[in-house]
Amino acid sequence: MTRVVVIGAGLAGLVASIRLADAGARVALLNKGTGGLQLGQGTVDVLGYAPERVQRPLDALAGFAQAHPGHPYGMLDAALVARSLEYLKELLGPGLLTGDPAVNLHLPTAVGSVRPTALVSPSMTAGSCVDGASFVIVGLRRIKDFYPELVAQNLNRTDLPGGGRLTARHVMIDIPARENEVDSSGLTYARALDDPGFRRRFAQGVAAVVGEGETVGLPAVLGLDDHGAWAEIAELIGAPVFEIPLPPPSVPGMRQNRALTARAKAAGVRVVPGSRVTGFRSSAGAVDSVQLATAGGDRDFKADAFLLATGGFESGALSADSYHNLHEAVFDLPLRRPEGHLVHGDYWGDPQPLFTAGVETDDTMLVRHPGGEPVYSNLYAAGGILAGATRWQEKSGEGIAVASAVRAADSILEAATTATTQGAAS
Amino acid sequence: MNASDGLDYAATQLARASLDHCVKCTICETHCPVSAVTDKFTGPKYVGPQAERFRHGESVDHSLDYCSSCGACTLACPQGVKIAELNGQARAVMKSDHMPLRDQLISQTTLMGMAMTPVAPVANAALSIKPLRTVIEKVMGIHRDAPMPKANTQTLAGWLKKRPKPTAKATRGTLVFFHGCAGGYFEVETSKKSIEVLEHLGYEVLVPKQGCCGLAEQSNGLFDGATAKVLKLCDELRSAGRDLTIISSSGSCTGMLKHEAHLIMGVDDARLADVGTRIRDIMEFLLELYEAGELPTDFKPIELTAVYHAPCQLKSQGMGQPALEILKLIPGVQAVESEVACCGIAGTYGLKKEKYEIAQAVGKPLFDKVKRVNPEFAMCDTETCRWQIRKGSGAKVEHPVFLVHQAYGLS
Repeated sequence: MTRVVVIGAGLAGLVASIRLADAGARVALLNKGTGGLQLGQGTVDVLGYAPERVQRPLDALAGFAQAHPGHPYGMLDAALVARSLEYLKELLGPGLLTGDPAVNLHLPTAVGSVRPTALVSPSMTAGSCVDGASFVIVGLRRIKDFYPELVAQNLNRTDLPGGGRLTARHVMIDIPARENEVDSSGLTYARALDDPGFRRRFAQGVAAVVGEGETVGLPAVLGLDDHGAWAEIAELIGAPVFEIPLPPPSVPGMRQNRALTARAKAAGVRVVPGSRVTGFRSSAGAVDSVQLATAGGDRDFKADAFLLATGGFESGALSADSYHNLHEAVFDLPLRRPEGHLVHGDYWGDPQPLFTAGVETDDTMLVRHPGGEPVYSNLYAAGGILAGATRWQEKSGEGIAVASAVRAADSILEAATTATTQGAAS
Repeated sequence: MNASDGLDYAATQLARASLDHCVKCTICETHCPVSAVTDKFTGPKYVGPQAERFRHGESVDHSLDYCSSCGACTLACPQGVKIAELNGQARAVMKSDHMPLRDQLISQTTLMGMAMTPVAPVANAALSIKPLRTVIEKVMGIHRDAPMPKANTQTLAGWLKKRPKPTAKATRGTLVFFHGCAGGYFEVETSKKSIEVLEHLGYEVLVPKQGCCGLAEQSNGLFDGATAKVLKLCDELRSAGRDLTIISSSGSCTGMLKHEAHLIMGVDDARLADVGTRIRDIMEFLLELYEAGELPTDFKPIELTAVYHAPCQLKSQGMGQPALEILKLIPGVQAVESEVACCGIAGTYGLKKEKYEIAQAVGKPLFDKVKRVNPEFAMCDTETCRWQIRKGSGAKVEHPVFLVHQAYGLS
């Protein structure tokens, strides 16, 4: 049985771990802390801006990759992306992820802009911004991260991506999730809304302010563990309802993170949170083990293959010093860096080149020297650490993460099969 | 270092430096089991890295006292902020000029065991008398319904003295066993079974005379006493042999030696560093043997489905949940992970009258899961947590080494 160490428990690390374990690999998933998936919005971006707004992301991928040499989508083609997203939909189930990756939806954000994304939590689909829609945006007075007036006013003045306008009005209501608490987090509401009793009172309070024919936009707090809570609330209100994701703690992100983590454990993945990987040993061009700095000292994790899924600058996987030397935290890997200055002074201007820096791989996701040979014969990379994308600007992060994770997992499994066959032959 | 330096240390440095790594992502908030059930604690981010910026010795937010020190926040933080440690230090400083007598007494765990053992039946009976517990609550502030250990008539030391010497030759070398106060006085069966499993594997097991690790005092902010205790314990454990691996089946006490005494109280002593890096949780040790291909897996099947709860202070050691991996090797055993950060007791937190209700609310999802999965039996690696889960669920709750012991045919 092949042994794999996956480092990092974001979307890429979780998806790869599950795929590997389901195929019979013994997987240890090492992570310093909770992965970035929880901070996400419960949606899956494939390609949102190229730089103009994208309507059909899968169709746009080939042209986008051609216009952006070295972009991860250059090696992760549309067919692989589509197949990988179908796999993610299967893992999360229709209660947590729905949609067609070929077509972008355009959903309201917490500041009332209209964001393109491909797959979404089913609790969000009614928020699709199309001509003639009529929204009432309902705020909860004790949640400080959601201003319904801002959302409604911005939506009202937006020319919609598909043409036309929608109408939105705003209402603020006060239904405390916890008495005596004036400043409740979205998570406190989500936990309270797992309780059917509170759900009924909440729905009554919302129903009182909804007009005929209106679709109700609420902050994304409609239940944490009960994935059907939002649908029941919609039924109780008697109108379509949609969730608008908030800044962290993001409840839709938490739902997905919890579901995938539980799925990984059920697949037999050994999850080891809370410690940093601080070193590694290698011999004959292969990584033999990594050292995990646990409370009682370093512990050696040996494996046949290693997957680096530690993220980018935001997680500390990549760093830049004041001389603009770039550094990868675990293996001190050679990095691809953009030509010229890494950072320019125009804050509102073009994308900062810095963020396209990262690890380069071949099309099996094996880490290689920029433009050259593999660094180790068994070290793969996936997700935010890959060079070439400005993920938040392109809205491409989840698509890259899922497709590269699936590709990396499949490459590791293929290599293991080849090794076994060769072993049997000799 | 001088024991009284601990508070100065807590007031001025160490973990404070890590607060600048906080990016306000709120991941810690989502993992906190206390703020999930009460509005009395504003959550680890607010009380930790945020409030820390306003502290100059004194705390501005006294809800800090409601942190249970379970460490779920530090474990979850992807940026490496020592949130729980920051809060433990700030609490010690906050309480230092008005330390309740109650907190000074309930942290004397060895004393309790020594006093109760000779009079075990009397002590057990006394602690089950409601009016007496009411008086204790009024006078001492220990909640009348809080779980209490059952005293044994025989200590581990007594058993070791009386039992026939193991006759099988030790083929794998020598280990030192650290039993903790509870493993010496209250949860003696866990210590016995651990020793027997290690001997079955071919080790000679030395059990030097040993005292308390000081964890309860540390979590109550009594750094002087805790520092003295932990260093004395290090001397005792080191007296058994210089390079020997030390094994413990007291999940939380192991964490005190591995990192808490150093990280929270700033104990910077070569003896502690030596013991802290030589010690292994028993399940961690068995898993290391397994990974090295050195663990016999001739386990007899046990048909059992039961909840396994890894104590918060075991998880905070950053090694995952080794017991889950070991239990997978026993045919027939289905260990269902509790998926709960903490059982609520958090050492002595759940004994205190003002925190008892919170501790019970924190533990409720775990108690419910035990009742749902197997109301008769559950597993957990730390003694105080077992008392809490036993009381909350009604199930028999034992250390996972019980199953290893049975699967090897030793019971």
